[in-house]
Amino acid sequence: MDDKRTRFEALVLPHLDAAHRLARWLCRSPGDADDIVQEAFMRAYRAFDSLRGADARPWLLAIVRNCHLSALAEGRRRAYEPLTEEHEAQQSVAAAAAAPDPESASIERDERRTLARLIAALPEDQREVLLLREMEDMSYREIAAVAQVPIGTVMSRLARARAALKALWPETQGEPRAVR
Amino acid sequence: MQCAESLRVQAVFDGELDAVSASAVERHSEHCAECRALLEHLESTRARLRRDLGYGQASPELRARIGRALDAEQAAERRAARPRPAWRARPFWLGTLTGAGAALAASVAVVLLAPLLFARLPDELIAAHLRSLEPGQLTAVISTDRHTVKPWFAGRTDVSPVVADFGAQGYRLVGGRADNLDHQRMAVLVYEHGAHVINVFTFPPGREALPAERSRLGFHIVCWRGGDLGYCAVSDAGWEELASLRQLLLGEAVRDAR
Repeated sequence: MDDKRTRFEALVLPHLDAAHRLARWLCRSPGDADDIVQEAFMRAYRAFDSLRGADARPWLLAIVRNCHLSALAEGRRRAYEPLTEEHEAQQSVAAAAAAPDPESASIERDERRTLARLIAALPEDQREVLLLREMEDMSYREIAAVAQVPIGTVMSRLARARAALKALWPETQGEPRAVR
Repeated sequence: MQCAESLRVQAVFDGELDAVSASAVERHSEHCAECRALLEHLESTRARLRRDLGYGQASPELRARIGRALDAEQAAERRAARPRPAWRARPFWLGTLTGAGAALAASVAVVLLAPLLFARLPDELIAAHLRSLEPGQLTAVISTDRHTVKPWFAGRTDVSPVVADFGAQGYRLVGGRADNLDHQRMAVLVYEHGAHVINVFTFPPGREALPAERSRLGFHIVCWRGGDLGYCAVSDAGWEELASLRQLLLGEAVRDAR
């Protein structure tokens, strides 16, 4: 295994899960997301020399996003649709394992589904900024690099996404338990 | 309806402000019910997303697929890099022809690459803007008073720019400095607009081509001519915000000329 491949696997491959999550939230189906991620990794490998010591995660995620956009432009994929049962099934298995009884497991499943729908209802530019911030814990500067917009735009999109969630939040849902 | 501090409250929540600004915002939130409610909402949103949305993982199949694709890519690279063994069979004089070809190629490359070389300026501007955001680098003279800032430039820079404070319009002059850029000593005006820092670089009359409006790495560059000088504003503030500062400075230049 040569040097480039070794360095690539050390620096870029650890961000596979993050790349997959972003693709998953941008794409229509899990299969599309996998295709996007694979294509992004190939582009990343070819362009690896241009990384030059910069942080690999925002760089890789920007490539994922570009792959998604060019796939959209080619008309190979349509815009985002809510998560499928496959994702919910995964989630509910985890929920059932965590919940003390079947009833609360089913409530949690409903809450998850509601939340996934709320997120899906956000415009794509707001959704991606929100998820990069909350799920990937990225800084404004990193998000700006991924979304290729100024930091001020990141801030306003983030504020709009959060406000939209607040407006859409069903009143019946209880306060979330603290998990921080 | 929305409190003007809301974006800063959000920035504190996201850990994006330095300790001094953060404590100022926190003091504000103590008195502002709206911002307190906003903070609560931000916290509960984050807790809920992180609890319920889940951290999906790439499947082992995807991982394996990428591994195989990388193998193929690597093999292709090796094939392309392998030297061709037949070169010794060529007649000796072919070498001189190749030399001429290389010279031709080089001159073509110079012609083609020249615009790229000139296009370096935006990068230099962004780099200078980033440097200025390092602690202690933003201003060499700190003043909101044009009568302090303008004389300061004399003797330190190649140009004497239009200096004005537009605090009333939301663009507060915080000072100036001299930057080495584009092979000259440039005067830089520093403005604050909300949470944004705007650097306005001033080019002497000799500079013919100014970069077109563009954004790079999340920063915007807006350039214009005022009198015989060129100006470039660089910031993470939005296009419209930079455009209004340009209008203000252009207006000032007209007043200056009278």
